This record gives sequence, C-alpha cells and structure tokens, in this order.
Amino acid sequence: MKSSRSLALVSLFAALMAVFGLIPKIDLPLGVPITLQTLGVMLAGCMLGPKRGFQAILLFLGAVALGLPLLSGGRGGLGVFMAPSTGYLIGWPFGAFVTGWMMNLLPGASPRGAAISAFIASALGGLLTVHAFGVVGLVKMANLTWAQAFFGTLVFVPGDLIKCVLCAMVVHTVARGVPDWHFGGRVLK
Amino acid sequence: MGSLYSEHLTWLHRVPAAIKLIFFAVLGALQFLLDSGAVLGASALACTLLFASLGRATYPARKLVLSILLAGLLIMAFHSWMQQPMLGLVSALRLFSASLLGIALTVTTRTRDLLSVFERVLSPLQHVGIRTERLALQLAMMLRFTEHFFVVWKRLDDAHRIRTGKAGGLRILAPLTIKMLISARRVADTLELRLGE
Repeated sequence: MKSSRSLALVSLFAALMAVFGLIPKIDLPLGVPITLQTLGVMLAGCMLGPKRGFQAILLFLGAVALGLPLLSGGRGGLGVFMAPSTGYLIGWPFGAFVTGWMMNLLPGASPRGAAISAFIASALGGLLTVHAFGVVGLVKMANLTWAQAFFGTLVFVPGDLIKCVLCAMVVHTVARGVPDWHFGGRVLK
Repeated sequence: MGSLYSEHLTWLHRVPAAIKLIFFAVLGALQFLLDSGAVLGASALACTLLFASLGRATYPARKLVLSILLAGLLIMAFHSWMQQPMLGLVSALRLFSASLLGIALTVTTRTRDLLSVFERVLSPLQHVGIRTERLALQLAMMLRFTEHFFVVWKRLDDAHRIRTGKAGGLRILAPLTIKMLISARRVADTLELRLGE
C-alpha cells in the first residue's frame, strides 16, 4: 500500500476516535456509560487491519498525551495516563491490533460474513484484549486484587458487547455501501 | 481544536519542555516505587503546592483535577470497604500526585514544544524504517479532520432530525463511516500527488 494512503487512513481514523470523544456518552439504565471511543478501537481494527489500526489509535493517544482534550468528557494530557483507567487506554492500540488481525483471518466475502467476522474480531480485540489490559491497570494503579479487578471490569462488558454489535452493523453497511473496501487490511498488504 | 495549554504565563512556562518532561517522568515514576503513607502524603502536599503556584494557568484543567479527586475518593472508599483503608490512602495519594504533575506539564507546555521533544526522542526509530518526521503532519491532519467529521456528524444528525423528528444517535454511525472512508481515499489521492509516493 502506498505511504500516502496509509498516512491518510491512519490520520482519519485517529480523527474518528477524537470525534467519538466529542459525542456525549450514553448512560444505560444499569448505570454503565457507553463512550463511543472503544467502538472507534473496534472500527479501526476492522477497517484498517492490525498494523494501521494500531498506528491510528497510537496517534490518537499521542495527541491526548500532548495535552489535547480528546478523550470523552474533554480529558487530555499526561495526567490521564496515571489514573485507574490507564490499563484500558494502553490496551486500546493492542485491542485494535487484535481486532484487525482477527478480521484479516476470518472470512468476509459477503456483507453478512463480514458483519459476523467483525462481531467476533471486536469481541476478541476490542473487548477481551482491552479488558485484559484494563484489569492489569486496575491491579497496578488502583491496588485492587486480581479478583476485584476482574469483577470490576465485568460491569463494562454489557456496554462493550453492544459496541461489538454496533461495529458489526457498521461493517455490514460499509460492506454494502463501499463494496470494494477490503476489511482487516487485506488490501493494505 | 483547543489544547489544555494555558496562555497565562507562569514560572513553569519558562522551563524547557524536555527538562520538564524528564523531571516529571522521574518524579511520577518515583511515586509508584514508594509505599510509605507519610512520604506519599508529603509528596502529594509538594505536588499540590507546585500546582497551586501556577495560579490561573490551572483553570483549563479544573474539570480534570475534579475527576482525579473523585477517582481517588472512590479508590479510598473501595479499599476502606475492603477493610484496607491505608492501602486506599496510599493508592489515592500516588495517583493524585502523579496526575497533578502530568497536568502541570500539560497546562504549561505548548503542544508543538512537546511534539518536538517526542520527535527527538523517537528519532532513533527512523533506523528501523519508522518515519517519525511525519508525526507532525499526521497530527495536523488528524486535528483538521476531527473538526470536519464533527461537522459532518452534526449535518447527518440534523438531516435525520428533519426526516424523523428524532435525534440520529447511533443510527448515523454507518453513513458517517462511509463518508469518512470516501474522504480518506480522496485525501490519499491528493497526498500522493503532493508527496509523490
């Protein structure tokens, strides 16, 4: 893939993450907020593949570290990387990588097939991987035990499962609207 | 896209970005090596005084400080509930101090100065084929398109509201993504002409 195309895609998906931060979070009745930025992680992996998805989220986090208030709720700066949620933030680029990697491996010839693959890839990358990092972060930063951190992170799983479904729906629509788009970075090789 | 940087000049604005970054990184890391409640308490007091010395420059980050205080209180409450109040206090003090240092750096250092430090730090990666000189271009493109896509999101939302009388919400996510992918292709073609690769 040409360098300019890669540059544009990485920057634009980092921008999508920033836009998701500007959109107010949705509060579910059970009190678990849905911020759209984890959905951005899943979409970056599904649309760009492992390498570019990883780069896009890393670029976004770099902008946050530089002081831009791009995380939901207008948070930014190095201070946000020293909070209990640090593990989740560090897990984002790895989540995008795993999502992209799985999307690349799973079949996606038809829109329905791409949507099912996107759901599985998002659940493994955007959910399992990110939460694994999140649990480590809770243990290291908030001094919780592994069991406490594990049960703590479970609270966010229903919201994240909804995001996996949303990601699959978006992939389904994109597969129909932009039929020559190759998910999981297949075209980027 | 506004930054958390404050134009209200303070003594910390005059310290070079690289020195602040090294100093705060070392101090922040030290917080995580200490376990003594008394030492961490003294450290939190010192960090609070440093932060307070910045006066009005800290105003853009007030919400952030409040959210950190709240997170600290929640951690303390949780550990107290688990019969470990001292552990809660130590964790909260550690996070509070490290976060205040990070915020102090952010409000007193221009984004471009930090970017130039990061570019210098990352420059050895050029030997393994990573083009760090493009970081500034990527960042600029990202910020430009953040505003652009937010406007597109609002337009799609308005159009949906006119059609149905309800906010678009997550229903406009797919059309936004399609518009974005098409824009990405157009921008890539333009860049290809400019950069020649």
